[in-house]
Amino acid sequence: MLAAQIIAVVIFVAMFLLIVSEKVPRHFTTLGCGLLMLIVVFGICMRSSEAVMETLNLKSFADPNFWILSEGAEEESSGINWATIIFIFGMMVMVEGMAKAGFFRWLCLGIAKLVKYKTSSIFLTFMLMSFVLAMFIDSITVILFLAAVTIELSQLLKFSPVPMIIAEIFCANLGGSATMCGDPPNIIIGTALNYTFADFVVNTGLIAVIALVFVVVYFYLVFRKEITKDTTKGMKIAYPDPKEAITSKKYFAISCVIFAVAVIMLVTHAQTGLTVATIGIIVTAMTLITSWRGAWKLLKKVDYETLLFFLGLFVVVGGLEQTGVLEIIAGFIAKVSGDNVMLMIAIVLWISAVASAFVDNIPFAATMIPIIKALSTTMGVDLSVLSWTLAMGTDIGGSATPIGASANVVGIAAAAKSGHMIGWGKYCKYAAPATIIVIGISMAIIYVRYF
Amino acid sequence: MGNTDKQFIISVGREYGSGGIVIAEELAKRFNVPFYERSILENIAKEKGVPYEDLKRYDEAPKIRLFHRKVKDNSTAPQDNVAKMQFDYILDKAKSGESFVVVGRCAEEVLKEYKGKELISIFILADKEDKIKRISEVHHLNEEDAWDQIVRENARRKAYHNYYCKGKWGDSRNYDFSLNDSRLGMEGAIDAIETYVKRRLNEL
Repeated sequence: MLAAQIIAVVIFVAMFLLIVSEKVPRHFTTLGCGLLMLIVVFGICMRSSEAVMETLNLKSFADPNFWILSEGAEEESSGINWATIIFIFGMMVMVEGMAKAGFFRWLCLGIAKLVKYKTSSIFLTFMLMSFVLAMFIDSITVILFLAAVTIELSQLLKFSPVPMIIAEIFCANLGGSATMCGDPPNIIIGTALNYTFADFVVNTGLIAVIALVFVVVYFYLVFRKEITKDTTKGMKIAYPDPKEAITSKKYFAISCVIFAVAVIMLVTHAQTGLTVATIGIIVTAMTLITSWRGAWKLLKKVDYETLLFFLGLFVVVGGLEQTGVLEIIAGFIAKVSGDNVMLMIAIVLWISAVASAFVDNIPFAATMIPIIKALSTTMGVDLSVLSWTLAMGTDIGGSATPIGASANVVGIAAAAKSGHMIGWGKYCKYAAPATIIVIGISMAIIYVRYF
Repeated sequence: MGNTDKQFIISVGREYGSGGIVIAEELAKRFNVPFYERSILENIAKEKGVPYEDLKRYDEAPKIRLFHRKVKDNSTAPQDNVAKMQFDYILDKAKSGESFVVVGRCAEEVLKEYKGKELISIFILADKEDKIKRISEVHHLNEEDAWDQIVRENARRKAYHNYYCKGKWGDSRNYDFSLNDSRLGMEGAIDAIETYVKRRLNEL
């Protein structure tokens, strides 16, 4: 087993290094490393076809609980988290449909009009909109559209888009932490450990909303000089009409209905029993059927590279799990924290936050799930508390640096394309303290509420 | 001068201190076409309404990979974004049918679809002594400091070029015409390149 463990760790570390180096597209990296894990670790070292089958996890499709959850269903087994992949695919198709109809641009311009194009009001409402949208839609899409409109308005109203984009990025990551479908780590945690949308809302959601109050005040205070300047005095400005953003009224109405149905299904899935995999399939079917002729175009726009990245990643993490490496790490964390559960929570939270600030939080969260499961079993700690801790650490930690989360990359790149460069210094100066504030608030709430 | 009513683009890659920029500027004058070097970024800054100095610090600069991340075409590295803006600018100029001389900015790679046709790619190098002499004079440095600066700048240009291009910086296989201007002197080098360009234009 030792050889299998060493090789599994080597493959895992190599995968991380290759992802960071960007030498190879990241989906090739995870798929290649996943294949190595299957052949070398499971095939040659362990000679275990059982481990291969468990990691590929194809049997989950035959399990009725995969589609409709019954009372008392057990936690999902290890390996490829197909529910996450199907759900993310469904949301990608839906979001493409919404974008095509002009939904996001209409919403952004509509809110700007509603607050009479006042810079400080746009700043505050866009932060809130970023938070709310990211609760249901992936933060990359939220920032992609929000940053584009922010830049457009900044050119019209003559303000720097940088403060607003940094605040929007932060709020998108914070909003993502509030729900099960907001951020990939939450989807992975939720589907792997069978939590519901409501479980996330009343736990991480509550923390996120409380933190949002502090974050809005913080960003308003640090950027007040930039956002309260009257830069348009005496200028005649031709404001864009939100209605012009709508490419087709019919598709716009349809995409709004599909979005509303998706939100309702997610909010009520504990009651209806529909799993996120089923919701993903329903949303995909609705979008494709209503697009009809445009369905093929929508399908072509789906980010398959990210889905393949997930697929390979789950196999690699499955390798660490099957070889018992993650149990060793869990044992180490348990040893360091002794009997002090509060210390263990602090370790999980801060390590997750710091790691997610520098490496992709998706592989980190996927790796940590078996670890917190083992910690819960061996130390008798409530698994849900560890789950909320892990979710907040990974979701929020990514906000601290330009490379911590995909939304940061997209927002910074959008600003750069408009000529506004956001380097490490400028980004971290504002986002790192906000991250520390939110992680601090999360720790305090977890301690007060669960201990 | 040959068939100059047709489009032609001269890209000039150069070692730091080789005088490549002087040669490129003179070529632009002789062929009466626009000369693009720092003006690319100046124009971009003007277009975007941002100070030129904000972009200049990332001009032809390599990034440290460990500190940056890409998500599809989006990069956190200002170096990537400034490079992309300049590449797009050069490509747009080429697509508009304009003839011009462009210095650096990976132009021979960015304009690869024009290779062997409208694009004439040149690389200028020089002997160590000449490079030191030129940099010492221009920047008022002693020989040692001038050489240190040359080594540093060339390493920077090489890293920048090789990150964005398949072909290696300064590799003669990557250019139509590589020339050491220490052999003929500046005037001689410009004349030689002019003759070469005219021959190419006659074949267009």
